[in-house]
Amino acid sequence: VGLKDATNSDRGIEQQLTLPMLQVLIALASGDKHGYAILQEVSVDTNGRVRMSTGTLYSVIKRLLNEGMIQELRERPALELDDQRRRYYTITEFGRRLAAAELLRMESMVALARSRHLMSDPEKA
Amino acid sequence: VTPETKLHREKWLGFLLLLFPRDFRERFGSEMEQVFQEQKNEVHKEGGAMGMLRLWWETIVGVFRTAPSEHFSMLAQDVKYGIRMLRKNPAFAMLAILALTLGIGANTAIFSVLQSVLLRPLPYRDGQQIVVLHQPNLTNPDTGFSVPEKVDYSAAQSFSDVVEYHNMNFTILGKTIAERVKTGVVSANFFEMFGVKPILGRTFSPEDDKLGAPAVLIFSYEYWRKNQNGDPDIIGKTFEMNDRVHTVVGVLPPVPQYPDENDVFMPVSACPFRSSPGLIANRGGRMLSLFARLKPNVTVGQSQAELTAIASGLHKEYPKFYPAAKSYSVADALLKSELTQNARPTLIVLFVAATFVLLIACANVANLTLARMSRREKELMLRAALGAGQSRVLRQLVTEGLLIALPSALLGVGFAAGSLKLLAEFAARLTPRAREIHMDGWVLAFAIAAAVVTSVVFGSLAAFRSRKDIVTNLKESSSQSTSAAGKRTHGLLVVAQVAFSFVVLIGAGLMIRSLLNLQRTDPGFQPERVLTMRLDPNWSKSLKADQQLRAQQNRLLGRRLIEKLSSQPGFQSVALASGSPLSPDSLQNGPFANPFIIEGTVPTDAAAVPQSTQRAISPNYFRVIGTPLLRGRFFSESDLQESTPVAIISQSLADRYWKGADPTEKRISLDSGQTWLRIVGVVGNVRDFGIEHQPEDTIFVPVEQNPASRAVLIHAAGNAHSIELEARQAIQQVDPEIAISNVETLEDARAESLASPRVTAELLAIFAGLALLIATTGVGGVLALLVSQRTREIGIRMAMGAQRADVLRMVMGQGLGIVLIGIVIGAFGGLALTRLFKTLLYGVTPADPLTFVGVAAVFLAAAAIACYLPARRATQVDPLVALRSD
Repeated sequence: VGLKDATNSDRGIEQQLTLPMLQVLIALASGDKHGYAILQEVSVDTNGRVRMSTGTLYSVIKRLLNEGMIQELRERPALELDDQRRRYYTITEFGRRLAAAELLRMESMVALARSRHLMSDPEKA
Repeated sequence: VTPETKLHREKWLGFLLLLFPRDFRERFGSEMEQVFQEQKNEVHKEGGAMGMLRLWWETIVGVFRTAPSEHFSMLAQDVKYGIRMLRKNPAFAMLAILALTLGIGANTAIFSVLQSVLLRPLPYRDGQQIVVLHQPNLTNPDTGFSVPEKVDYSAAQSFSDVVEYHNMNFTILGKTIAERVKTGVVSANFFEMFGVKPILGRTFSPEDDKLGAPAVLIFSYEYWRKNQNGDPDIIGKTFEMNDRVHTVVGVLPPVPQYPDENDVFMPVSACPFRSSPGLIANRGGRMLSLFARLKPNVTVGQSQAELTAIASGLHKEYPKFYPAAKSYSVADALLKSELTQNARPTLIVLFVAATFVLLIACANVANLTLARMSRREKELMLRAALGAGQSRVLRQLVTEGLLIALPSALLGVGFAAGSLKLLAEFAARLTPRAREIHMDGWVLAFAIAAAVVTSVVFGSLAAFRSRKDIVTNLKESSSQSTSAAGKRTHGLLVVAQVAFSFVVLIGAGLMIRSLLNLQRTDPGFQPERVLTMRLDPNWSKSLKADQQLRAQQNRLLGRRLIEKLSSQPGFQSVALASGSPLSPDSLQNGPFANPFIIEGTVPTDAAAVPQSTQRAISPNYFRVIGTPLLRGRFFSESDLQESTPVAIISQSLADRYWKGADPTEKRISLDSGQTWLRIVGVVGNVRDFGIEHQPEDTIFVPVEQNPASRAVLIHAAGNAHSIELEARQAIQQVDPEIAISNVETLEDARAESLASPRVTAELLAIFAGLALLIATTGVGGVLALLVSQRTREIGIRMAMGAQRADVLRMVMGQGLGIVLIGIVIGAFGGLALTRLFKTLLYGVTPADPLTFVGVAAVFLAAAAIACYLPARRATQVDPLVALRSD
């Protein structure tokens, strides 16, 4: 449904991705997931350093949905295999592009920092 | 895990989720519960209470961190969207803000006065425990107390403290000219009992009150600021009063003074009258006011009972001082109600009127919102159809309401702050608490609450309406249609507006009628070109002389004053008197009636003893003020001390006791028959004590026979104000120690005596004007909306042969029909509410038919104009175009 609502027409693409948003996008890059699976993925991805609370997770999901970076999946596993309250999310093409752009930006910053010896080179280390 | 446990609801998490906006909760709530359960299951598998604690802790912290930002982002969205909507309709926004600013402004201004005067506690320590004692008898509402009575009533167990007060006018020397100061003479612990702390120096101590102690003074804040230029080094400075040197020991903060506004205060021992042994011993020498502090947990009722018991004991013990026929009694009343009783009815009436104006403004904004809503129906329908919950739409509308109401509140508070000084001046005529009027947190909270309630009310009205329309409009195809429910809401709001405005208009109408009555009332004198001044010769000089000599001195002073003033160019005629009509003293203190005897009559009981006010006048008095002689003659130069004592009586007194017969040559006595005065003339009634009061029965005596020259009245050849300086100089030349005060023309005095009803009428008229304006634009606006929605129907009617006049009549009829219903409801409301008014009205009843009919006519005329514009537009409907429009 392409309703131009205030909720998504006003948000600019130039808007920065926050770290939790990026983490959720990266978690979804490995495949469509429901909420709990996203939490687990983020925890595994960061070796357990990041423990996202449900509140944070869903306020991030809400924003990503509003910005059109993720979508809720219509198909879902057979009912009896699944808690009916679960919903599955998938990353959109727009989400991929935006995440990629953000990560590239970060990468160039890392390169810059490294060239100025703000951090050590992992290959030399 | 069985399906049952899977679907088990997380009660505690459910509570936590309530912190999120409803939309968020509805969309993600069950998912969050589910995720939380999986987290719990996992922790459970790993085992360990610590893990569970940690999960709970992280979840709680997470909710508290994200919920506010969810609310905020939603608010930001609504605000951004609301601003865009308002910018699309700048006319709507301006109209709504204007109406609400006026409504909130008027309300806030009146509320700050009401709050300062009626609601806030007195600025005294535990002010609600302070009472005033009164000793009324059959003929005098408050005789005051004598020194022995003060001692007796001070013994009452109900009071922790009893203090005395009386007021004198003394002449203070020490600056270039003599100045008359209103002096409060008080017990040493007077200020302590009130809990008033001086801003400079100290209050009185028991030592100050001992006989022969050095004389000390405390200045009131106002006198210190105005007459001593706020001198910070005033403490220790000396002034001469009553031939004694007085040292200033303190300056009071600005506190309300009751019963009089005094310039300075002195302890009892310093007052030459109060400290005379004769007075101290005289039970009948009643000149004191008593104030007392109730002991904690003692009520006015309990103290009243004790006072009555003491009084009946005294009445038995000293029957001479409490003649049974006079039925003396003693009562106490809370100081706060005494201070505010004059202001209460006026302030309540004004507040009700201002509230009505706000309600009318609210109804107008609600109607404008509704009208706008009908154009936004598609948008709101879509939003609703797409799952925006009812609460989401409500939230949006309330936010839009706040976007209008909060700026209005801000502007309204500014408006109120700007008008506060004028309002305080007005209130000063009604209550000594006027000086306390200011805006505080309560007032701001009030304005903001008014704004929030306003926006919530009209926002939810609109949302309520929108829900109905979604259903209706999904069924109907026409975008032009408006549901019957919508029309009814519009109609009801307009009826309410009209009804409330009608009540406010009735209030204004009654006040204006009452004011016109007052202005038309003949005061009994001709105020044009008459200058009056109050004179106070230096008391202390005449005090030393014996009574005979004092009278002679006064007589001589009077003659010299008349002689000197009469010789001034431009002074047409000059009179001396013991008082002048409508002077500030008469307005404040009211009449003071004394008994007199008519020769040859014996009163049957105390209630039948003739009473009258008395005034000593010089022969020219009535010529100066223009009061007509009805019988006999005025006093003449030959009515001297040694000639036959004479009197002139007022018409009302003549009518009361001689019933149309000729009273001249009859004799009366003011001193229980020691001297008999021959009545030589009857003059017209004069309303000396306020135009709204019936003229007092008055006996006039010649100033030569009763020397008491307190007022000078000068009839000027030209402008009475322009001779003020010459008059002052001439008086100073006769005696430089005479203090001159209350300089005003009789026209000023008359205007001043009408100031309070005039300002009340003006304020109500402003409110009524606002109400009428807002209500009629409301009627016109709604009618225009209805016409635009009926374009098709009107087109059909015209195609079927309806004339333009028929259409005009139909539309006007619809508009005026709504107005008429409102007027009828308003009339009943007015009949019920204007009873509040009774005490404020003069010469007109609260149900005055002329006012009701007149106001209804004005309202209908204004509404007809407002309805004519949309009605004319309806007649210009082109049937062909209208039928095509869909």
